[in-house]
Amino acid sequence: MLLFVAFPMILAGLMPLIGKFSKRSLPDILSAITLFILMVLSGLLAAIMNKGVTIHQPMVMGQKLSISLAFDGLTLLLLFIIYLIGFLVSIFSINYMEEYGSKGNYYGLFLLMIASMSGLILATDLFTLYLFLEAAAIASYGLVGFGLGREELEASFKYLMLSAFASASILLGIIIAFAFTGSIDFLGVGSGFLMLGQPKIALICAALFLAGFGMKAALIPFHGWVPDAYTPSPAVLPALSSGLLIKTAGIYAICRIFFNIFGLFGELPSLLIWIGTISIIGGALLAMGQKETRRMFAYSSISQAGYIVLGIGLGTPLGIIGGLFHLFNHSIFKTLLFLNAGSLERATGTRTFSNLGGLGTKMPITSATSLAGCLSLAGVPPFNGFWSKLLIVLALVEVQRYGLAIIAILVSVLTLWYCLIFQRGAFFGKFNTNWSHVKESPFWMRASMVSLALICLLSGLIFPVIIRGWIEPAARIVSSGVRYLLYCAGY
Amino acid sequence: MNNPLLLMIIFLPLLGAAISLLPAVRKAPIRAILSVGTTFLHFILCISLFTKGSVFFFAPWISQDIAFSFSSSPLSSFILVTASFFLFLTALYAVRNMDFHPAIDHFLSLLLFTASLASGAFLANNFVLFLFFWEALLITLYAMIAIGGPHAWRTGLKGFVLAGTADFALILGIALLWKLTGTLSMSAPGLAIASKSAAAAFILMALGAMGKAGAMPFHTWIPDAAIDAPLPVMALLPGALEKLLGIYLFTRIVLDFFVLIPGGGLSITMMTIGSLTILFAVAMALIQKDFKRLLSYHAVSQVGYMILGIGTCLPIGIIGGLFHMLNNALYKSGLFFCAGSVERATGTTDMELLGGLGKRMPLTAITYFILAAAISGIWPLNGFVSKEMVIEGAFKEGWIFFASAAWIGAIFTFVSFLKAGHAIFLGKTQETTSSANENEWNIWAPPAILALLSILFGIGFRIPLERFFYPALGPRLSLYHAAEISSHGLSLFTPVALISICCLVIAFLIHLYGWKKSGKVAHMSSDVIHRLPVIHTIYNLAENRIFDIYEQGVRFITWLSNILHQNLDRPVDAFYEKTIPSTGKRIVQTLRTFHNGFYANYLAWCVGGLIIIIFTLITRVK
Repeated sequence: MLLFVAFPMILAGLMPLIGKFSKRSLPDILSAITLFILMVLSGLLAAIMNKGVTIHQPMVMGQKLSISLAFDGLTLLLLFIIYLIGFLVSIFSINYMEEYGSKGNYYGLFLLMIASMSGLILATDLFTLYLFLEAAAIASYGLVGFGLGREELEASFKYLMLSAFASASILLGIIIAFAFTGSIDFLGVGSGFLMLGQPKIALICAALFLAGFGMKAALIPFHGWVPDAYTPSPAVLPALSSGLLIKTAGIYAICRIFFNIFGLFGELPSLLIWIGTISIIGGALLAMGQKETRRMFAYSSISQAGYIVLGIGLGTPLGIIGGLFHLFNHSIFKTLLFLNAGSLERATGTRTFSNLGGLGTKMPITSATSLAGCLSLAGVPPFNGFWSKLLIVLALVEVQRYGLAIIAILVSVLTLWYCLIFQRGAFFGKFNTNWSHVKESPFWMRASMVSLALICLLSGLIFPVIIRGWIEPAARIVSSGVRYLLYCAGY
Repeated sequence: MNNPLLLMIIFLPLLGAAISLLPAVRKAPIRAILSVGTTFLHFILCISLFTKGSVFFFAPWISQDIAFSFSSSPLSSFILVTASFFLFLTALYAVRNMDFHPAIDHFLSLLLFTASLASGAFLANNFVLFLFFWEALLITLYAMIAIGGPHAWRTGLKGFVLAGTADFALILGIALLWKLTGTLSMSAPGLAIASKSAAAAFILMALGAMGKAGAMPFHTWIPDAAIDAPLPVMALLPGALEKLLGIYLFTRIVLDFFVLIPGGGLSITMMTIGSLTILFAVAMALIQKDFKRLLSYHAVSQVGYMILGIGTCLPIGIIGGLFHMLNNALYKSGLFFCAGSVERATGTTDMELLGGLGKRMPLTAITYFILAAAISGIWPLNGFVSKEMVIEGAFKEGWIFFASAAWIGAIFTFVSFLKAGHAIFLGKTQETTSSANENEWNIWAPPAILALLSILFGIGFRIPLERFFYPALGPRLSLYHAAEISSHGLSLFTPVALISICCLVIAFLIHLYGWKKSGKVAHMSSDVIHRLPVIHTIYNLAENRIFDIYEQGVRFITWLSNILHQNLDRPVDAFYEKTIPSTGKRIVQTLRTFHNGFYANYLAWCVGGLIIIIFTLITRVK
């Protein structure tokens, strides 16, 4: 279990050194192979041990460490997503990162981010969680500013400053929890708050966490960093961040803390639903008005994160399954779309899509895969996005929230709309002769995009298998609520 | 015990169809071997299934109610044998008849698909499964007509819409039946028609079955298809398979799914539909000048006999109707094959241009006259036996109207076939026919086989009755009834038979009179009736498709859609095009002005959001 954190972490430390000796191929190969092995391993683990909770207490020289790690359905789902996306982004960067140089440093940050995210989801106490969260965030600041241009550094700085708010409020939450319960591990905090019998304190604590993790999850009104950080950075950063960081640092943490530790009480569920709904609408409307590819998809990420939180916030089994399945799907198609955007920018040298046109014939793979991603994003059957949105809408109907169901459906029409605006601007329509020199991206980039597009289609076609294999065990953990603490305690 | 034979029967032609899609097999000898061989194997499998009696295959599927369930009864396996026999003959005929047709590969693939789907429809033992096969047949129907030529898709669409309407009624009926009985299994005990909804379910399902068989008013695509579709399609679908499917379902509805009382209102309704179909279709057939169109109207008219017979709900009527279904498939397919033979030799089926072919194509001529005699019900051919049984059933019901409709139908059937035979095979040789020659063996052999079978099933009528039809009715048929039906058979000295024979004589006289009156031009011999005062007007209306529900429906929908387009759609569209985008743009612009990139702004929102969250959480706590 420690392997998932330690192996990439150690490799991340060695990467800059390795990069000194071998400028190109060795970092590529090492990172891709590592991530591939861990992806297969996490997939296998999910197949083998998808029951209950497995606690692991690392030993150092015969002494038990007071940090422990835990596997359960939710962890396994996210672990698999992390390594799947990590692997595919890693092979994308083989070609994509050529122009940035210093691959050793890049892979160092990349693997640090991956390792920290896996540490984050394996943690069983608030402080370890916070620690890995910060580590992942630091790696991502580095990646935003990786190009070292004026714009990149400004974006990185802005991102850092806004994240400071999130860190502060999370830390404050942890302090309050520790002050009142005397503990920072999940079991201690959860049972402590239950015994304390002071809901107001628990709620202040929850509010701080919601603000902090809500910022990581890119929910409105904590979303300000998203478009600015995603636009000037290398395209792999938004792919990783939207595909993984938002999910692990934001939504996973929200699930874990609000469902498994505090339990849903008071106005928490309706607050989650409201934040989700506002994010859905606001994100989609803002995406409509964008002319830059990545800015559009950044706002779209906000909107889709809203869907996930809305589904999970309902608290019904169907809603949770829908939300978690949308989490899985969104990781895949949004990563794909950001990689498409990267491929498009690399070929044309511009970030705006509105002055492109007719590139479908010049870049058939990028065009076809981005169409698959867009259809998935807009929820067109048989792509995976359709099924998860359908489940969320069904869950809304099930609890008789018809208004929200209608909003969810209408916004998915809006989604289709802005997807079509992008498609028409970039790939369809009249060919713009300025771009006659444009070439299709090199092999590894194409391989990565095609794999993601195929996963979009396949997981739409065999969605019951995915739901049964990964989503349902994860949903069981989320919906078990505070009983999860009993599992943690070893019952 | 699950019997895999049932699945083999469905999947063998499917496999053949899949192979036939490969480009490598699209060469003349290979595709011939593939299609003829597959259909022949299919035929053999069907026969072996028939000898096995009742077998079944069951596997759980979507839910408790919707199972993957097949079964064969004596009725279904017998009709399946018949259907596969016709599929085989059509394949044999088509590989030669369509050898220069651009769409022959498509046709043969579709034929194999149809074989698979029809087998599934005959064997399905669950309504959902059944509907799957039944509806998929609609697609092959469309495709088979549409391959006929550049404009044939219009007729295909017409057939698709009309048959689809009937199928829609069928689905509604099945849904209603499901609600009443609570099961989707097709082997559940029959439902007594005690309530209005049960009667509605019956009528809807019966409409669906009759629509498939091509009864009025769902028939109007058949004459159009006769012109547009490739000929083997006509011989196969309206000639045989559609009838087999429709009448199979109709029999199941009357016998199995519902419990009907002879002489009840529903029985009389069905008999009325049957009689009207006979009369109107035969009247239209009478005045046709094109051989294929004439045949296609008869294909409709003969369905009327089957529905009339089964609609009586008497054993003799039901057996007669089923026997008529078999006989009609034999002679109607045979006649269509003859038409194809004539068309191949001369390039036309217009009776005005034909004549004297009897000398040039003796085999086809002899085949034609045997088959025409069979369809007209001349003693001792099979058409006589089954038609007598149907009329006997109708007569027994005590409604002289139904029996007379059948008799009038018989008169005009004979008149029109006398006219056609006279105009095509007798008389003077014309320009088009002077160089015609007899076709290859696999053009004349299929109709000849069918003519032989028509004779055999006439003289030896006891064999099909006792081997095929009595088991199909099972315990519902008492020994007394069986003896009565058998003794009826070919006997000439019953009141019904005597009147029928009088009808044939009258028909012969009418033809003679018409022929003389029209100046001894055979194809004009029906003009005497055509020109009668009131009838002339009705015919004109019918020829202008005033009675065609499809054409009228299309006209109505076009009118309605114009009205809606002008008065509803344009205003709504203006709303969507003007109001919504401008409002949306304003909202988006407003939101964008807030996102001006100053991080102090964003920070302020974060703090504001946190305060609002704390406030909501704290104040709402009890």
